[in-house]
Amino acid sequence: MAASEAAAKVQEVREVTRIERIGAHSHIRGLGLDDALEPRQVSQGMVGQLAARRAAGVILEMIKEGKIAGRACLIGGQPGTGKTAIAMGMAQALGQDTPFTAMAGSEIFSLEMSKTEALTQAFRKSIGIRIKEETEIIEGEVVEVQIDRPATGTGAKVGKLTLKTTEMETIYDLGTKMIESLTKEKVAAGDIITIDKATGKITKLGRSFTRARDYDAMGPQTKFVQCPEGELQKRKEVVHTVTLHEIDVINSRTQGFLALFSGDTGEIKSEVREQINAKVAEWREEGKADIVPGVLFIDEVHMLDIECFSFLNRALENDMAPILIMATNRGITRIRGTNYKSPHGIPIDLLDRLLIVSTSPYSEKEIRQILTIRCEEEDVEMSDDATTILTKIGMETSLRYSIQLITAANLVCRKRKGTEVSVDDIKRVYSLFLDELRSTQFLKEYQQEFMFNEMTETEQMETS
Amino acid sequence: MVTTAGSFSSPRVHWEFNMASYSEWLSYLQSAEKTALVQDGKKKVHFKFPDGKEMAEEYDVKTNDLLLRKWRKKGTLGGSGTWEIEVGDPQVVRPVAMETQGMVESSSNPIFTRRDTKKAFMWRIRNLPYPVETYNITVDADNRCIIIRTTNKKYYKKFPIPDMDRAGLPMEQRAVNYAHANNTLVITYEKPAGVLEMERQVMQELKKLKAAKDGDVECNPS
Repeated sequence: MAASEAAAKVQEVREVTRIERIGAHSHIRGLGLDDALEPRQVSQGMVGQLAARRAAGVILEMIKEGKIAGRACLIGGQPGTGKTAIAMGMAQALGQDTPFTAMAGSEIFSLEMSKTEALTQAFRKSIGIRIKEETEIIEGEVVEVQIDRPATGTGAKVGKLTLKTTEMETIYDLGTKMIESLTKEKVAAGDIITIDKATGKITKLGRSFTRARDYDAMGPQTKFVQCPEGELQKRKEVVHTVTLHEIDVINSRTQGFLALFSGDTGEIKSEVREQINAKVAEWREEGKADIVPGVLFIDEVHMLDIECFSFLNRALENDMAPILIMATNRGITRIRGTNYKSPHGIPIDLLDRLLIVSTSPYSEKEIRQILTIRCEEEDVEMSDDATTILTKIGMETSLRYSIQLITAANLVCRKRKGTEVSVDDIKRVYSLFLDELRSTQFLKEYQQEFMFNEMTETEQMETS
Repeated sequence: MVTTAGSFSSPRVHWEFNMASYSEWLSYLQSAEKTALVQDGKKKVHFKFPDGKEMAEEYDVKTNDLLLRKWRKKGTLGGSGTWEIEVGDPQVVRPVAMETQGMVESSSNPIFTRRDTKKAFMWRIRNLPYPVETYNITVDADNRCIIIRTTNKKYYKKFPIPDMDRAGLPMEQRAVNYAHANNTLVITYEKPAGVLEMERQVMQELKKLKAAKDGDVECNPS
């Protein structure tokens, strides 16, 4: 019995910290503008695109003022010229309290939901309501966080969290979701935290004064706070921002608010929405709530079809509409769902309502700067020569391809136990991985040996 | 989503008057839309108040003891809230989906319940292993609540007696008694005459209510 228990103990592996993953735009921290909205050449992860960034800054001011509803803006430009980066920069600059919804144009095509429902939900996710609400919170000092994971790698993680105040102590059992947010917030023993019971949101208030003498490595911004008094669970009036969509879901009887956690909300009846709108208008008049118009960003907007575009036309006229930002990399092309051609694949009547910002290809110097930033972000040491070569590759092929090579080259470098990515590493991965141009070249040469190559020249033209 | 096994909110008083007599409480009860039902030896009464609050009570049919009283009110953003138990055992609501949801209080924590007797209000706190001299129970007459403190700083609880607020009676330290046995701390507060009288009148009011029998849905097959 004891032996089997011991074996079970060994199987558990304590998780230390989870490595944060690096996304394509994780280096972007803002738009990189100064107070006069003048763009700095390199700032907050943004490089070049000065005119576009300045334009985005102006739109940002418009959003921050929050007075104007239903304006739309289109970012157009070639692939890999930083359209999504600009949108992400705007999201970062807006901060936590302004709702920012990012979606791709193709996301609205689902079998479970009609296209307009998906768009309406996206619109309503981008309108925030600041309202005072009484919620139950748990506030205390962390005594211990214990997270166990079965060594097999499968199966749910279990955990325990012990919290205390000056008067009492309570142990909580943790679910997977809570464990995730605790690790994300890097909560450790000695932190003073609050947990919102309704949403499960964790806020770190600071370190406990009793821990002030632990010579831990801590930044100068570490704040020390008193251990809370009295009971762990308190009722507090808090002002928080909820989106219209969240209120919709809470009030749609068939779903219940649990649907918010599973993400599966289905369609919401229009009567419910009308009721909510009336209620919100009432709160606004009584001064109970403020509306925080947010931003809806639709990437690859040319994937929308004509019905969606005409829906957007109408939806933008609503005074509850958010600021809409769209991005596309298409030129004059067919509008989806019709046989008409139009600039950016967007009907002229909608284009007429848009502020259009265009991005232009990066210069060699800018590409070099972006690559350097990405190297830093991915923790890759690269020699100057290698960066020069990579920049050249970036100029000749595409920025995306050269960014991809950074990680690959770093791996090759590590395998040969090098510390710095050299020209040879770049050459190696350049020969291993084809870029789009060389791949096309290759296909043209060896077309005859591939399958289904009986297509005539004209047919191929049509599909492309 | 955080769920507490049997959410028992303490400092929130559902009914607030300033030392008024219980007539106000009686008229509040009278204003409610009431439904009653007798089911497994319990008389279940549901009150729906004009201000949107809901109260559900359960009485033993034979002894007329109050077994359960719980409250629910609408959330600020709409949607029905969760039941908050004032009297009775907390329902075991340990959610099946705890793995996907947030956190629950560990079952080894103290569990606080109120179960009244005819003569006294009584609270039981289970899972409290510390000896009797650890506890310090005081009545805070100004804030109208009872405070439990422990000398080892393991447990602390501040709770009101809503019935006393409804009856509009002052709270007194000498009405409190406590005992500790079998890992359970039992606190009693003797019901003053005013409360007994109020309860008698509420009972009379409820007697008038016609209770539907369990399972018998009125249906006349032709």
